[in-house]
Amino acid sequence: MDSVIINSLQQGLIFAFMALGVLLTFRLLGFPDLTVEGTFPLGAAVTARAVVEGVDPLLAVLLGALAGGAAGAATGLMHTRLKVNNILAGILTASAIYTVMLRTMGRPNTPLLAYENVYGQVLGWFGLGETHLSVIFTLLVLTLAVRVVLGWFLNTDLGLAVRATGSNERMIRALGVNTDNTKLLTLIIANFLVGLSGALACQAQGFADVGMGIGVLVAAIASAILGETIFGGNRVGRLLTGAILGSIVYRGLLALGLRLGLPAEDFKLMTALLVLLVLTLPNMEIGNRMAKGLPKKARLFCRQAIFSPGAAGKTAGARNHGREVDN
Amino acid sequence: MINLTGINKYFFVNTPNEIKALDNINLQVNPGDFITIIGSNGAGKSTLLKAVAGVIPVDSGCIEIDGQDVTNLPEHRRAGDIGRIDQDPMASTAAELTIEENLAIACLRGQRRALARAVTRPRLERFRQALRDTGLGLEDRLRVPVGTLSGGQRQALALVMATMTRPRLLLLDEHTAALDPKAASLVMDITERIVNRHQLTTLMITHNMEQALRFGNRLIMMHRGRIILDIGSDEKNRLTVAELIAKFASCSGTVFDNDRALLA
Repeated sequence: MDSVIINSLQQGLIFAFMALGVLLTFRLLGFPDLTVEGTFPLGAAVTARAVVEGVDPLLAVLLGALAGGAAGAATGLMHTRLKVNNILAGILTASAIYTVMLRTMGRPNTPLLAYENVYGQVLGWFGLGETHLSVIFTLLVLTLAVRVVLGWFLNTDLGLAVRATGSNERMIRALGVNTDNTKLLTLIIANFLVGLSGALACQAQGFADVGMGIGVLVAAIASAILGETIFGGNRVGRLLTGAILGSIVYRGLLALGLRLGLPAEDFKLMTALLVLLVLTLPNMEIGNRMAKGLPKKARLFCRQAIFSPGAAGKTAGARNHGREVDN
Repeated sequence: MINLTGINKYFFVNTPNEIKALDNINLQVNPGDFITIIGSNGAGKSTLLKAVAGVIPVDSGCIEIDGQDVTNLPEHRRAGDIGRIDQDPMASTAAELTIEENLAIACLRGQRRALARAVTRPRLERFRQALRDTGLGLEDRLRVPVGTLSGGQRQALALVMATMTRPRLLLLDEHTAALDPKAASLVMDITERIVNRHQLTTLMITHNMEQALRFGNRLIMMHRGRIILDIGSDEKNRLTVAELIAKFASCSGTVFDNDRALLA
């Protein structure tokens, strides 16, 4: 049981950065950013190459995160300057990243066990050994720091403009905000976090692989939904904390499933079904009856979830509206 | 002073549906003017306001605000000078954000937004003061998400947001049309109070003839993209709704056919 808890804590904290990034784009900005499926392994690949080249591990992780931010900028520029559809822009970037990763590493995967990793390095400064608990503690400190910074940012004038862009783009433009810039900024921050997540993951598992991004987006969405359902509220602070806790709970459920003998190859299908179920339950008759059993918050989330296709359509609709007028 | 010179705007150019939405519009708005705008369906009233706000680009002509040519500025670069409220109560406020957050966004109209905390104590005091003027008690509900407010409350909040920075021009596009009669008259009262107190230069579209006569100091009537009637406060005060409709018929050569006006 101990290993289940330790495993899910470590994994959950590493993926929490990604859940926070996905929360920023999908939930707060209303931008279904598919770049992250490529950004996650990109962060790992860049970090791995840097470590192999002898770069300081901490700097290597930072480089991985920055590479993620650059990927976000690519999607953002494609969408805002070249007017490419938001989903397509993300897919294009994610696809292009595949080549970037292969070129960066020179092959599909890079083992890193022979090199010092960032956890050992940071813990070494404090004279601590690299144990499961100390690694978790390091991650926890970093997660809390990011949580605090994001919470602060989203309550600044600029952060409010970002949230208003997701809530009512027409309004915030009428108040003098260039929404192209707020979108670009949010995509960079979100993908920086996802790149950081990938970098920390490759450092923890001791290798980077071009395939490690498959399905991570759905997992992050599931984490954010779990977080909002269990711990959520409309307050931004709650959402941020919820995403972190949701990520830990999600990894815990996976670890528990493994322990109970569920085959690991079924996980991605089950996660996808779980997300689908949570999103569609309220729309179905049976769901309505079942939903009555759910806590009120869960029902609320289901109905207003920005993750639902209806909400994605809302932003697309707003954009089309603008285009009609341009004609 | 706002000057519109020779504004033209076509829609669906080079198709069989080509429409001249704005046809050589010339309008001089004096400081402190409160102009009500009426007109039949598709007269170009909303297009005019959107062109002034920069939501849609014009095909030719010149828009000047206090001597500055803003014709080619995008909407967000004109926003500092122009407050605007739409008919749709959902359009002018952000539902997911709280009242105080909406106001914090509005109080930086047209300014650079940086990394300072948005909701601060001095600002809260300002928000409470501004909300108290509406008389709706919203000043005690600053932390409530705007999505939970009624349509009338949202439009009243939108008014406060649009006027907080005293813009050079306030554009109201039938901002009470989607409300029930009681809420509509409440929002109209608040509008008049705020506009009068701050001497705001205002353009207000309305489908309600009686409202058009009662509020403001000037009335313009539009038909097929043109301004066909522009009357000042003396004449406006003497007119009745029936006379106004008759005037429309004689100026445009058609019967006034705004379906909403007939229903109102």
